[in-house]
Amino acid sequence: MTVAVRAESLKKSFNAGNPALDDVSLSVRHGEVLAVMGPSGSGKSTLIRTFNGLESIDSGSLEVIGIPLDSNHDDRQIRRIRRRVGMVFQQFNLFPHLTILQNITLAPIQVKKIPKLQAEDRAHALLDQMGIADQAQKFPAQLSGGQQQRVAIARALAMDPELMLFDEPTSALDPERVKEVLDAMRKLAADGMTMVVVTHELGFAREVADRVLFMDGGRVVELTDAEEFFTQAKEERSQRFLSQMHY
Amino acid sequence: MQGCFSVVLLGLIAWALWSTGFWLVQRADWSVVSGNLPLFAVGGYPEALRWRPILWLGLLLLLTFFTLAQPLLLRRGMGLNGTILSWSWLLMMPLGLWLLAGGGVLDPVPSRLWGGLVLTLLLTVFSGVIALPLGVLLALGRCSELTTARQLSKIYIDGMRAVPLIAVLFFGQLLLPLFLPVQIEISRVLRAVVAFGLFAAAYVAEDVRGGLQAVPSTQSEAAAALGLGPWQIQRLVILPQALRIAVPALTNQAVGLLQNTSLMAILGLVELLGISQSLLANPTYIGRHLEVYVWVAALYWLLCTAMALMARQFERQDTSQPIAETRS
Repeated sequence: MTVAVRAESLKKSFNAGNPALDDVSLSVRHGEVLAVMGPSGSGKSTLIRTFNGLESIDSGSLEVIGIPLDSNHDDRQIRRIRRRVGMVFQQFNLFPHLTILQNITLAPIQVKKIPKLQAEDRAHALLDQMGIADQAQKFPAQLSGGQQQRVAIARALAMDPELMLFDEPTSALDPERVKEVLDAMRKLAADGMTMVVVTHELGFAREVADRVLFMDGGRVVELTDAEEFFTQAKEERSQRFLSQMHY
Repeated sequence: MQGCFSVVLLGLIAWALWSTGFWLVQRADWSVVSGNLPLFAVGGYPEALRWRPILWLGLLLLLTFFTLAQPLLLRRGMGLNGTILSWSWLLMMPLGLWLLAGGGVLDPVPSRLWGGLVLTLLLTVFSGVIALPLGVLLALGRCSELTTARQLSKIYIDGMRAVPLIAVLFFGQLLLPLFLPVQIEISRVLRAVVAFGLFAAAYVAEDVRGGLQAVPSTQSEAAAALGLGPWQIQRLVILPQALRIAVPALTNQAVGLLQNTSLMAILGLVELLGISQSLLANPTYIGRHLEVYVWVAALYWLLCTAMALMARQFERQDTSQPIAETRS
C-alpha cells in the first residue's frame, strides 16, 4: 500500500520556547483515516499544518503525497502539495465577500484553470453531496456554523484532493450542529478518502478512524489501531486522557 | 434658570434664521449668480463648444440621480442593473476627457481654457484615478514581507504626509517644469492632477492598510491552503475585503480631495473657486462677495453630499455583511 504522508523525526519550536513538535515520526497510508488526539497545546494542529506547509519544520524529513518537504520551505513544492491536499479549519475560514458557489469554484478556476461552467457544475454536485444544494447563491454570513463548515469541506473537495486535513472541524460548532458535519465526514471516509483528523470527538474517532495518534507535549505518545486505543490504551498518559474525556 | 436659558437660546436661533432668510430673499442680489451660470459651469470654455462640457455635466447628473434612486427604482422593478451602473460611471471618465479636450471628430480645446465646475470635477476624478491604484500598491508594499518594498512605501507615505498639500501643488506647478527638459511641456491641469494624485495616494495607502490589517490572517491561510499564489490571494481574497472595509475612510478622502481642488485657485487655475474670484474682480460685481461665496459653498455642499450618499448606498448594498443593513 502506498503512503500519503511519511514523517521522520520532525522538530519544530516557536521562538525557542517549548518544542511544538519533538521528534515526531509517523506515516499515513492511502485510504486510511488517522485521528490525531491529545490535550490542547500538544502539537496536534502544528503537526497537520506542517503537512501542507502552513507551518515550516526546523528539522526532520517529510514527504506528502510523494512530494518531499524539508526545512528549506520551498514555495513551489508547497504549492504543488496544496493543490492536491485539502484542508478544513476550525473556524471554517470561508471567504465572506464571495457567495457559497464562488467560494467553492475560486480555486478550481484560478489554480486548476477549469472552465467556469464546469467548475460550477462540480460545485453544485458537491453542495448536493453535503446536503446544502439550496444555499449556492447565499453569502457565508447567512449560513449556520454547521452549513458553513460543510461548505468548507466542499471547497476543499472541489480541488479533488488525494488527502484531506481536518483541524478540529467541529470544535467551533453548536453541539446540535456537530452531527451534520461529522456525518459528511463519515460519508467521505466511507468513499475511501485519506483523512487526517485532529479531533476531540471520541465517538467519531472510534467509529471512523483506522488508527489514532495520541500526542502530548509535542511528542508521539501512542500510535495504534483505533479500537485498541479506546479499549486498552498502552500508555498511562493516554489512559488518563481518555478517562478525563469520558467524565 | 434653565427655562430662561432655553428662551434666550431659541430667540437667538430664531433671529439668526430670520436674518439669514431675510438676507437670502430680500437683500441679496442674485443676478451675479443667475447671470453667470455658464461661467460657473464651464469657465472660459469657448462659447460655441460649451455644449460639450455641459453635456458631460448633464450625464453625470443623470447618472447620480439613477444611482441614488436605485433602491426606489429597484423596488418598482425599474432599476438599472448594478453592473451597467458601475460601467457607466467608469465610462464617464474617458468620455469627459474626450468631450473636454476634443480629438477625433471634436475640435481640440487646450486645457488652459477649461474651468468652472467641470474643471473641479475633472481634477477630483482624475487625481482619484491616480491616487487609488497607487495608494493600493503603496499599502500592499507597506504590508509586504519584502524589506525594500516596505521601506520604500514607508518613506513615500511618511514623506508625502509630512509636506503640506499646498507645497506639493506649488512644487508641481513651479518647480517641476524646471527639472524637465525644455521640449517637454506639461499642461497646468495635468501637473495639478499629478500633484494631487501623488499627494492623496499617501493618505489612501494608509486607509487601505487599515483595511488590509482588519482582514484576519486566517483568510490568507485558507486561500493558501487551496493552492492560490501570493498575488492571487491578495487580488481575489484580501484586497476585495480590505477595500470594502476602507470605503468609509476612502469616502472621506474623496470628499477632502474635492474640496482641496479649490486650492488650485491660488495657483491660477479657474476651477469653481477660481472662476468665482475672477468674476468678483469684474467691477460690475463689486460688493457681491457674499452672494458668490454662498452660492459656491452651496455647490460644494451639494457635490460632497451626493458623494457621501452614494458611498453610503454602496456600503448598504454589500450583501455579504447582513449586519451592515441594520447598522447604517
